[in-house]
Amino acid sequence: MPKQLITLAVNNERHEVAVDPRWTLLQTIREQLRFTGSKEGCGTGDCGACSMILDGRLITSCLMLAVQADGCDIVTIEGLAENGTLHPVQRAFIDAGGVQCGFCTPGMIMAAKSLLDHDPAPTTSGIREGLAGNLCRCTGYAKIYEAVELAADRMRQATK
Amino acid sequence: MAQETKVHEDKAKQEYRAVGKPVVRLDGVGKVTGHTVYADDMQLPRMLHARVLGSPYAHARIKAISTAKARVHPGVTAVISAADLPPYKKNASNRRGLIFADDEILFEGQAVAAVLADDPLVAEEALALIEVEYEPLAPVVDPIAAMAEGSPLVRSPISDVDRSEERGHVTIEVEQKEAEGKLTNVASQMNFKRGDVEAGFANADVVMENTWRSAMVHQSYIEPHSVIADYDASRDLSVWTSTQAPFYVRDELAQTLGLPENKIRVTATEVGGGFGGKICLTELLTAALAMIVRRPVKYIMSRHEDMLAATPAPQAIVELKTGMKRDGTLTAIQAKLVYDSGAFPGAPMLPGCLLVGGYYKCDNLDIQGYEVLTNKVSVGALRAPGAHNATFAIESHIDMMAAELGLDPLQVRLQNAVEEGDLLPSGQPYPRIGLRECLEAIAESEVWKRRDQAGRARQNGAAPSHRGVGLAVGGWMGGLQPASAIVCLNSDGTINVTVGSADITGTNTSFAQIVAEVLNLPLEMVNVTTGDTRTAPYAGMSAGSKTTYTVGRAVKLAAEDARRQILDIAAKRMEVSPDDLEMMDAEIRVRGAEEKSVTLRRVGRWSTNFAAPFAAVVGRGAITARNMAPGFTAQAAEVEVDPDTGEITVLGFAIAQDAGFAINPLSVAGQMQGGASQGIGIALSEEMLYDEEGRLLNGNLLDYRLPTTKDLPAIEAIIVEVPSEDGPYGARIVGEPSIVAGPAAVGNAVFDACGARLTEAPFTPERVLRALGKI
Repeated sequence: MPKQLITLAVNNERHEVAVDPRWTLLQTIREQLRFTGSKEGCGTGDCGACSMILDGRLITSCLMLAVQADGCDIVTIEGLAENGTLHPVQRAFIDAGGVQCGFCTPGMIMAAKSLLDHDPAPTTSGIREGLAGNLCRCTGYAKIYEAVELAADRMRQATK
Repeated sequence: MAQETKVHEDKAKQEYRAVGKPVVRLDGVGKVTGHTVYADDMQLPRMLHARVLGSPYAHARIKAISTAKARVHPGVTAVISAADLPPYKKNASNRRGLIFADDEILFEGQAVAAVLADDPLVAEEALALIEVEYEPLAPVVDPIAAMAEGSPLVRSPISDVDRSEERGHVTIEVEQKEAEGKLTNVASQMNFKRGDVEAGFANADVVMENTWRSAMVHQSYIEPHSVIADYDASRDLSVWTSTQAPFYVRDELAQTLGLPENKIRVTATEVGGGFGGKICLTELLTAALAMIVRRPVKYIMSRHEDMLAATPAPQAIVELKTGMKRDGTLTAIQAKLVYDSGAFPGAPMLPGCLLVGGYYKCDNLDIQGYEVLTNKVSVGALRAPGAHNATFAIESHIDMMAAELGLDPLQVRLQNAVEEGDLLPSGQPYPRIGLRECLEAIAESEVWKRRDQAGRARQNGAAPSHRGVGLAVGGWMGGLQPASAIVCLNSDGTINVTVGSADITGTNTSFAQIVAEVLNLPLEMVNVTTGDTRTAPYAGMSAGSKTTYTVGRAVKLAAEDARRQILDIAAKRMEVSPDDLEMMDAEIRVRGAEEKSVTLRRVGRWSTNFAAPFAAVVGRGAITARNMAPGFTAQAAEVEVDPDTGEITVLGFAIAQDAGFAINPLSVAGQMQGGASQGIGIALSEEMLYDEEGRLLNGNLLDYRLPTTKDLPAIEAIIVEVPSEDGPYGARIVGEPSIVAGPAAVGNAVFDACGARLTEAPFTPERVLRALGKI
């Protein structure tokens, strides 16, 4: 299959990549750019482990072809920490015990970040709504709800 | 949303500096930044990707396989089927030792051949070019039909059955009657008897008899089975795998491939969820491929393959008859439990048989278990394997009998709950356990307190009228295996700990707490590594809830050994007796004369530098575990039932569980909440659906419904602490009991809400409406 040359801005870095047009965005970012933080749990958009933020929108990158993302701005889990300082959502997931096996964690954190970007003070039901596309099998979500509340509190404090 | 509280707190615990305190996972940063390396994140030089062709039939004979077209597909490196394998030692009754089917297909998805290519998409394409001629055979799908006389046979007779994997999860010696070469679909049977059940029923004021069904469910770890294997020029086999059981994988590989165990290096990569399902599955296949092509091979199961051909949890049919006296005394339990094992033996029938008669004092028992073969994928462990199926039956019955006699469901359980010295159905006495304490704790939960409110609201006719609260208990005996650990002092005073147990639940964080406690130093100074099977000291599989209970003991002994060595060095240097010394904050001090001290760092130098005067500090701990430390739980569910649609909404859920001693309350609560959520999933929506031909109808995460955030409220966790005798600081098994009570607790809540008694899990809207008599 002839490769197609595309440009992706991933975590504020511009990459020109020759991609197999059948490859998903997730495959290209994991296998070619070697950002392996985003995970493939199902390949059918059901689990959310591959969640990324593309042009400000939360997407499941296993459902998108790499060529469809040509010219887009993408943030993966590797792009959240700045200069070695964790993003408040990342810190809160650790502190609240929202991390167990860790496989859903990158996608879950991207979903939580996207939620808080759009709603800095979500209600309990808003949190449950906002994370409904991400499956976690370890935690029963209890400590993930707690983590998102903690992150929201800390982010609001920081902007005061 | 503060969710955890603790009861029965041991006063002595206040003296501890590190254990018993909530500690965030030491592997947290890697996981939240995406830097933790899982097997699929690894690439080796010249690595090939494997894709596997599975059988489309549940039962068939392979007449011919032609791989010629696939072999010449551009980009394909090799196509391998049974004919291409060297003559490995195999046993047709043991699925773990089989690579590709060569004759009889026993379940849909069974591996027939594999394609290797540099590009996984190319390998996938070439699968379609493999030509297999099958002769379809009659599939046997329903276990009850399979038991009937004259049923077609699922497979050629089994013999020499290997039950080692099951024993890793629950270790109790019992008699199991194997089919051994007989023409039957019943792979094995067991029977526990005590007293005279007929006399027990004659003495009862109420006798209930029902049949309880629970579906085949999937562990649904978010990371599918993932393995990389490499066979190098020195004929050393390296395997990186998402497994809970690195040493067990090594042993299985050695046995089948005919390699010495020391020529195999199994590395347990970070496990993206296991829950009993990641013991040993695709390692042998991947290793065999790598040995044939002499290049590294990666095999990642697709989600569909994982649902078709991993080791899900069995469906079970439990016929139960119980009797109770007016005063609440349980007089007899008679049970027939049928576990659907799929195409190979290995169903977790033993724990179901133990637990159905193991929660309550009862003089008269007759428990009969049947492990039945069908043409479905063979089952394995899912968190307390086999326990929820049996518990659903007995815990529904207890509620039904209590209701019939006008007794309080909590009180009747407290009255009959087993205690230390009571006998398991198999005859072994219970050690100290905390079932009663869990019941007392759940009575204080917010959820259970709402039971009276729900009842009053109904009586007053006040809205909401279809809310209810239910209760159930659960438990697990746990597995027992030897364990060991090494604790070393570095030249800068920091500590390295090496263990052989895969860390699936945060156990390495708990081990760091144990070492920090023994050496009385800051947690940050301790680092714990899970070594591979060549570098790490032995540990059993991280299954059966045994890791903290067994490896934790070894870690504690190793830390105490290191402490003795450190004090010896300091004592010689300071010319005092080691008995006069104490360790605190990385210093060794003379007790009562604090100005006389040396730092741990100096002891580190004195035992590592060139021409150092002392030998390196290497603490060793090794144990065997012979005594079980069962863990019990009591759980309460609050639900709302929509009488028009049959939909159940879980409004609240509380779990009280005896952890013995919670070394890390944060991770213990996380285990409790996670397990409880899986129990709720089994209650509400999880079910692997097969058609009459034995084909899976819902092999994906859209049609197989796991609980989402929309389904689960924040689960309240109440940690109960009744210390075990052998566990470190009194810790007992933790991981598994939490899943066990869910279906029964939710079922009892639904009954409380609307009077519908559900006898088949999951409680789909259709089943609820049927129970309500609406359809």
